[in-house]
Amino acid sequence: MSRYFISLLCLLCLGISWSQDQNPSASQADSLERTDPYGIRFGVDLSRPVLSFLTDRYTGIELVGDFRLRDRLFLAAELGNEEKGQSEILGEEDPGPSNVLYDYTTKGSYVKLGVNFNSYQNWYGMNNVIYVGGRYAFSTFSHTLNSASYFNSNRYWDPNGFTLLTDSAQEFGGLNASWLEMVVGINAEVIGNFYMGVSVRLGYIFSQKSAEEFPNLWIPGFNKVTDGSNFGTSFNYTLSYFLPLYKKARIPQPEPLD
Amino acid sequence: MHSRPFPIASILILCSLTLVSVIFMAGCEKDDICVDGNTPLLIVRFYDQADPESTKTVAGIRVIGIGNGAAVSSFADRSTLDSIGIPLRLDMGATEFVFISNSEDDNGMEIGNQDTLRFTYIPSSTFVSRACGFIGQYEDLSSEFTSDADNWIQSIEISTPFVQSIDSAHVKIFH
Repeated sequence: MSRYFISLLCLLCLGISWSQDQNPSASQADSLERTDPYGIRFGVDLSRPVLSFLTDRYTGIELVGDFRLRDRLFLAAELGNEEKGQSEILGEEDPGPSNVLYDYTTKGSYVKLGVNFNSYQNWYGMNNVIYVGGRYAFSTFSHTLNSASYFNSNRYWDPNGFTLLTDSAQEFGGLNASWLEMVVGINAEVIGNFYMGVSVRLGYIFSQKSAEEFPNLWIPGFNKVTDGSNFGTSFNYTLSYFLPLYKKARIPQPEPLD
Repeated sequence: MHSRPFPIASILILCSLTLVSVIFMAGCEKDDICVDGNTPLLIVRFYDQADPESTKTVAGIRVIGIGNGAAVSSFADRSTLDSIGIPLRLDMGATEFVFISNSEDDNGMEIGNQDTLRFTYIPSSTFVSRACGFIGQYEDLSSEFTSDADNWIQSIEISTPFVQSIDSAHVKIFH
């Protein structure tokens, strides 16, 4: 588990250190008042539609948005819906139907709310963001167990596979999960108020409601739930539009040290 | 307006970092091999009819599942044992076995003493882990014993009616 931390920490340190060695422009003492735009950025995750198109049994969409609250502080939110079908197969090399242990479909929606802190010091006129952030996330979902077999290493009664447990779909509904997310990401202006973004996330589930018969192996918005761990990882690639609403005086940047 | 080579380089670096970390994390995942559980065998222990507290081995024990015809392979066939594990059917609530003591072939004919046993139960399932999925369990185990002119089995006792692990014996057979 610690490796997850380490890799994320490395990412974080890199982001911060590298954003810090870019000195702010030597601010000339000019008389013009400089302003920064404040407003709403909204967009969509590109990875989910692409994965929906490329992958069987997955559809997903995620809307993203943030609002510049203060010079470096943004309120941020994501809203999404995902559906994913998966099956657990014993022995990947021979995915015959008799080796399918169970097959299930998860569908549900999620919302993530939190803040981003911009660690990047822009030159005047630029509004790029390299951020670290946190989210509270909540997802409601259901699992449908499409089919299942009994795992049994003894093949005496079933030499060719596993004995079928059920092949009629059974739905486990009304499930939910709450988790906290640490986010590291970037939003870079590519052309006139349009931004490309990418973020990686480390989630920690602190509460979940699961069905007695079938645990939460995958949660919309959270991604794969690992055995014996509350951590999970996810990411997004976003395209968004920044809608400037008002301007505020630019906060003076610290002088570079000589 | 100033311009700096910020966006493209940064995006490239962060994208590749994302990719690297995703691959790295995927590499840390547990192997998809089921080690967390298994459908239990029915553990049968043989006891001495004259001294019900002590176990007694059966020489040349062989068990054949009725409906399969082959000897059960979960223990060494025709060996001398005081305890065996045999698989129960999961597709129905009863399994019948022929228990043979002193099993031996004479010109292709079984000359050991054959006794027929029938175990009835309710198959159930429990989810163990991602890699294993569901395993079977057997609830409300009971046994029936067909008596014939020359039974080597004297009596049977169910000691654990809920078969969910192989840590302890489920059935005692006195002979």
